[in-house]
Amino acid sequence: MTAPLLEVEDLRVTFGTDDGDVRAVQGLSFTVSEGETLAVVGESGSGKTVAALAIMRLLPRYARIEGSIRFRGTSLLDLDDDGMRGLQGDDLAMVFQDPMTALNPVITVGDQIVEAIRTHRDVTEAAARDRAAELLDLVGIPEPRRRLDSYPHEFSGGMRQRAMIAMAISNDPKLLIADEPTTALDVTVQAQVMEVIRRVQEATGTAVMLVTHDLGLVAGTADRIQVMYGGRLFESGDTDTVFYGSRNPYTLGLMASIPSAVGRTAHRLEPIPGSPPSLINLPEGCVFGPRCAFATDACRSEPELRVVDAATGHATRCHRADELPALIAARAAPREAGA
Amino acid sequence: MLAYAVRRVLATVPLLVLGTFIVYVLVAVSGDPLAKLATCNTCDQSAFDRIIDLYDLDKPIPERYANWIVNAVQGDFGPAVSYGSLDAGALVLERAANSARIAIPAFLIIMAIAVALGVYSAVNQYSRLDYAVTGLSFLGISLPTFVFALLLQTIMIWMLDGFGWRPFYVTGMRTIELDGFLDMIRSHVLPVITLVLVLTASESRFQRAAMLEVINSDYIRTARAKGVPHRRVILRHGLRNALIPMVTIWALDFAALLGGSVVTETIFAWPGLGPLFISAVTQLDLNLTMAIVMLTSLLVITFNLIADLAYGWLDPRIRYE
Ligand SMILES: Nc1ncnc2c1ncn2[C@@H]1O[C@H](COP(=O)(O)OP(=O)(O)O)[C@@H](O)[C@H]1O
Ligand SMILES: [Mg+2]
Repeated sequence: MTAPLLEVEDLRVTFGTDDGDVRAVQGLSFTVSEGETLAVVGESGSGKTVAALAIMRLLPRYARIEGSIRFRGTSLLDLDDDGMRGLQGDDLAMVFQDPMTALNPVITVGDQIVEAIRTHRDVTEAAARDRAAELLDLVGIPEPRRRLDSYPHEFSGGMRQRAMIAMAISNDPKLLIADEPTTALDVTVQAQVMEVIRRVQEATGTAVMLVTHDLGLVAGTADRIQVMYGGRLFESGDTDTVFYGSRNPYTLGLMASIPSAVGRTAHRLEPIPGSPPSLINLPEGCVFGPRCAFATDACRSEPELRVVDAATGHATRCHRADELPALIAARAAPREAGA
Repeated sequence: MLAYAVRRVLATVPLLVLGTFIVYVLVAVSGDPLAKLATCNTCDQSAFDRIIDLYDLDKPIPERYANWIVNAVQGDFGPAVSYGSLDAGALVLERAANSARIAIPAFLIIMAIAVALGVYSAVNQYSRLDYAVTGLSFLGISLPTFVFALLLQTIMIWMLDGFGWRPFYVTGMRTIELDGFLDMIRSHVLPVITLVLVLTASESRFQRAAMLEVINSDYIRTARAKGVPHRRVILRHGLRNALIPMVTIWALDFAALLGGSVVTETIFAWPGLGPLFISAVTQLDLNLTMAIVMLTSLLVITFNLIADLAYGWLDPRIRYE
């Protein structure tokens, strides 16, 4: 078996603030293989963006980053700035959450894409413009050649995000990190942008790390799902396993709050009570414990992430993972009988 | 764009009329030119008549103003009685040129230093140089102009005492035509430095704030994510955006500099608009005061217009409809 494209091991990111250390990511380990789509899901504040920015080396300098991030065998945290710049926008690309602010307002869309190309490829301006027009066409922007000379404000939100995607894939990345690419967009546009990401992935064969708080968005897209909470990995497994055989109360809670969930708890729609913990003063034991319907005394110690099924790589962080299916069945039964 | 500029210029006309009218009324009611003559023993009735006739003092103020503005738009600002009845318009233009001799180099230096310092401090926020710049800026902002001017003069006098020689003149204006290139430079340096010291502080603070806002914005992160080299991120993506809010500040500061700096020009005995304005006001020279007011108003209006047009050039989001 070949080494995975991206290997993150025991990643920890801490921000020193006046109120104390914010432990945004705590011991995160995962891999992304060539060409696959990994969805990273969790409520806002779970540390998804921080983890993504750590991989891209885009965190502010005062962030303390520990652990290891290997991309195609290279340790990213050991690269100097020049070495890292060689990867950024080339093999390793990122699309950001808010397309309204992520493009430079005073530079034409075409020039911004051309810049991305010419930063990494020794091509003429004219050749880069041709390529930029092709890219805009690929992401479904009509009249791409004319649109090269438009400024971002002349694009709608959906078109800007398409342009961002075009720019990110301009050098055929091996890994495309998309951080909440549809969150800032209208619901009708969200599906179109997801479709663009799928199309782009087909055209370029890039692996995609799709970061989102919306589990519902990833069902048809992701090969694997990784659920994060409180800066930790709570569950990971292939998409079907997580949707139909989750062994984690937090994942189940996320599913219960999807309107059109396909999961077993879909018959009721309710948000998880409470809100994510402060990352400065984390609760003792399981970080999800205070909000968990199944918490017991055992949950006062922090559970390890452990493998449930070695064949599929399904892993979960819960003391009661083994009892969970029975517990859920017992809860669901009286309600169904009553209904 | 041209249509916009023309419309803007036309829109300034009522503004100028209103502005000059207010100043005219204020000056007209603030002192009586005849009262000054009353203390003059050698002046006879004809002197009084001349002043009354000159300023239409026997007519109501609105009518006086109307007469003044009709002549003014034809370029006739009347005689400046406190300056040997020289033509007020010509006098003001001559003095304005003298003010510009120090205002233009000072302004270019201020812009260059302020942009460089502001950008550097913002990019290296909380570095030692940032703290140093911050400290010096507050010193520059809080110290009054005369402190700098007198300090520079004192240094020159020390040098004169100590070495029998000083590099720069402490008073007066020398020109290339009358005194040669070297003396021209030697007389311009100190007033220029004073203006630079006074304004660089505040300008670099504004530039730093503008740049800080920009470098924490999403599109800067996008540029980094593309692998764009640091310098290019700062200059092409950062500075380009951080200059937009500076345009208005530059326009107003430059207009103010061109309009003459009272303290600096007075201390260095510079024949600019600043001292001229003070003397015109204290001598109740209505024509001269009004000519200066007209010029400084025009400067402010013109530079505001230039700033607005520059906005459109720097920021594609702005359209002139
Ligand atoms: N630059 C920063 N300085 C301090 N704290 C930060 C910074 N960036 C993120 N955080 C904190 O890290 C935590 C995780 O944030 P984030 O990764 O953005 O969450 P998510 O993307 O999952 O919504 C949050 O509590 C956030 O306040
Ligand atoms: Mg986020």
